[in-house]
Amino acid sequence: MAFPVEEKQGFSVVMLDGEVDLNRSPDARKVILTCLKKMKHVMVDLSAVEYIDSSGVASLVEGFQYARSNNLEFGLIGVSESAMSVLRLARLDQVFRIYVSLDERLAHGS
Amino acid sequence: MAAELTGSRLQRLVEQVGRRFVSGVEDFGYSAALLAESLYWIVFGPWQKQHVRLHAVFAEMMNIGVLAIPVLAILAFANGAMMAMQGIYTLRDFGAESQVVVGIATSVTREFGVLITGIVVAGRSGSAIAARIGTMQMAQEIDALRVMGVPPVRYLVAPVLLAMLVMMPVLTILSDSMAIVGGGVLSVMELHIDIGTYFERILAALEPADIWQGLTKSLVFGVLITLVATSNGFSASGGAEGLGRATTRSVVLCISAIVVADMIFTFFLII
Amino acid sequence: MATLAEQAVPSVIEVRDLVTYYGTQKILDQVSLDVADGEIMVIMGGSGSGKSTLLRYLLGLHLPDAGSVRLFGRDISGLSGREWMELRRKMGVSFQGGALFNSMTVGENVRMPLREHTRLDENTMRIMSRMKLEVVNLAGYENLMPAQLSGGMVKRAALARALVMDPRLLFFDEPSAGLDPVVAADLDNLILRIRDAMQVSIVVVTHELESAFKIADRITVLDRGRILMTGSVEEVRNSDNQRVRNLLSRTSEDVPVNAEEYMQRLTEGAD
Repeated sequence: MAFPVEEKQGFSVVMLDGEVDLNRSPDARKVILTCLKKMKHVMVDLSAVEYIDSSGVASLVEGFQYARSNNLEFGLIGVSESAMSVLRLARLDQVFRIYVSLDERLAHGS
Repeated sequence: MAAELTGSRLQRLVEQVGRRFVSGVEDFGYSAALLAESLYWIVFGPWQKQHVRLHAVFAEMMNIGVLAIPVLAILAFANGAMMAMQGIYTLRDFGAESQVVVGIATSVTREFGVLITGIVVAGRSGSAIAARIGTMQMAQEIDALRVMGVPPVRYLVAPVLLAMLVMMPVLTILSDSMAIVGGGVLSVMELHIDIGTYFERILAALEPADIWQGLTKSLVFGVLITLVATSNGFSASGGAEGLGRATTRSVVLCISAIVVADMIFTFFLII
Repeated sequence: MATLAEQAVPSVIEVRDLVTYYGTQKILDQVSLDVADGEIMVIMGGSGSGKSTLLRYLLGLHLPDAGSVRLFGRDISGLSGREWMELRRKMGVSFQGGALFNSMTVGENVRMPLREHTRLDENTMRIMSRMKLEVVNLAGYENLMPAQLSGGMVKRAALARALVMDPRLLFFDEPSAGLDPVVAADLDNLILRIRDAMQVSIVVVTHELESAFKIADRITVLDRGRILMTGSVEEVRNSDNQRVRNLLSRTSEDVPVNAEEYMQRLTEGAD
């Protein structure tokens, strides 16, 4: 797999990194959907992402939609300011569940 | 009349002829370049991630070919019937009216079947293609294609060319058959032979070379219609009026090109 | 010989001494222009100033007759087809009339660059195109045909198409032309919002002063094929160049009459 997945506290944490662009977002999509299809809750860690374009964001949207229709949890952690502005432009910052880190999500309880 | 031409008038006439000639050569060169580029994308497109889209080719085949079938069938049938009629009355004076079948068989397959096909396709698609590309040119859609990195020739011309190369021979065979049937109906009525005998005589009179001649021409006509129609579309300018002019010009030039090409063909093939 | 300061903000567009002709008529004369990364450059001028021509050269629709145009540091005169394709993926253009493809729905129009240039999943493409339609406030119009949209909506749909590949460089040709003032102001705000969110460099060609002053970081004033000045909004407002002042106050200037040439023009070609 192009992007590593770590199992932590009942979540599959998908670690995206570098540039998530037209070339690499199909891989990100595949990794995210594979985790969800195993009926795992998913957190996507964006802290190592330098640049994410709309194909990358579209993959996140697809994952979120899949999770919702299967009663799974799907969240984003470590969203950088540049990634945030891409989300904000399409008003997706109001749609995704966004946390600073996995710990913050865990502090919320289930 | 020539004596009345003053020096400056003559000069202007010569200038005008010269300019027409140069622009004619330019048009010819442009069409040749279109053909070369279309063939390039058809052959090498897949290696450059610039495929000629198959669904576009099918859509063109539908527009150019399938939708032309009804009108072509009627015209070819009528043409075959008329040829039989003319042939029978002319040959009757010599008491040779039964030879009309031979005349129909060869002239339809070599000449008139494909000519009618060419004229029908030129009239329908020659105008439609020029109008569509001309509209796109004026609305800057061609520029939009180019800045998106989609070569307009690959996207707009190559599918038409492929569709023409497939559909023109098919339509020609249809047109040949309908004309022969049309001639058959007249022959049965006028010569009092039965339809089976008519077809036997047709088949006896026909040689494969006759049919090949028609089919080869149909390919040439297809290429000519494609190039004339698309180049007229690309060069359209000047609003709705200009579009009308480009469309009319396209049909007239398509038909002229077909007739001239046919003449050259026949000349070389008969000799 | 770039200094360190210049390297810090690399130019996305560098035009040097661009000279262009239309036939024998010189349209652009010694035009030099830089557009820095992330800035909004407005190219302003009246009709006939050559601003539309300059845009066509910046888009690479024509190659310079003399001088050079560099996009992302690459001279456009020596690019191969493949290199062009790479460049084009980083550029988006919103044409004056939108230039949407009339035979496709709004959604298909927006997806077209993705379909031509990527192998993304159909679902991903649909989500991406809908995201861009959200950005331009056209959510829910995906399945309409361009002919069913109003002028302002067509421009926004064209903008969504220009944005769909996340370009680094965005061009607008007369964004507010043909729009009522409120809709035009909305579009200006949208342009600013997109620049801030996507850190994209934007080139706007317009003759609308109000819009230019509102969105520009820098303005280049073009007049009769030459650059009168390039500067910040304040510098252009306070310019004491007479032609710039005329353009700002919308007064036309009497072209000085050369008696000899004028008579020549009036009587040329008469017998």
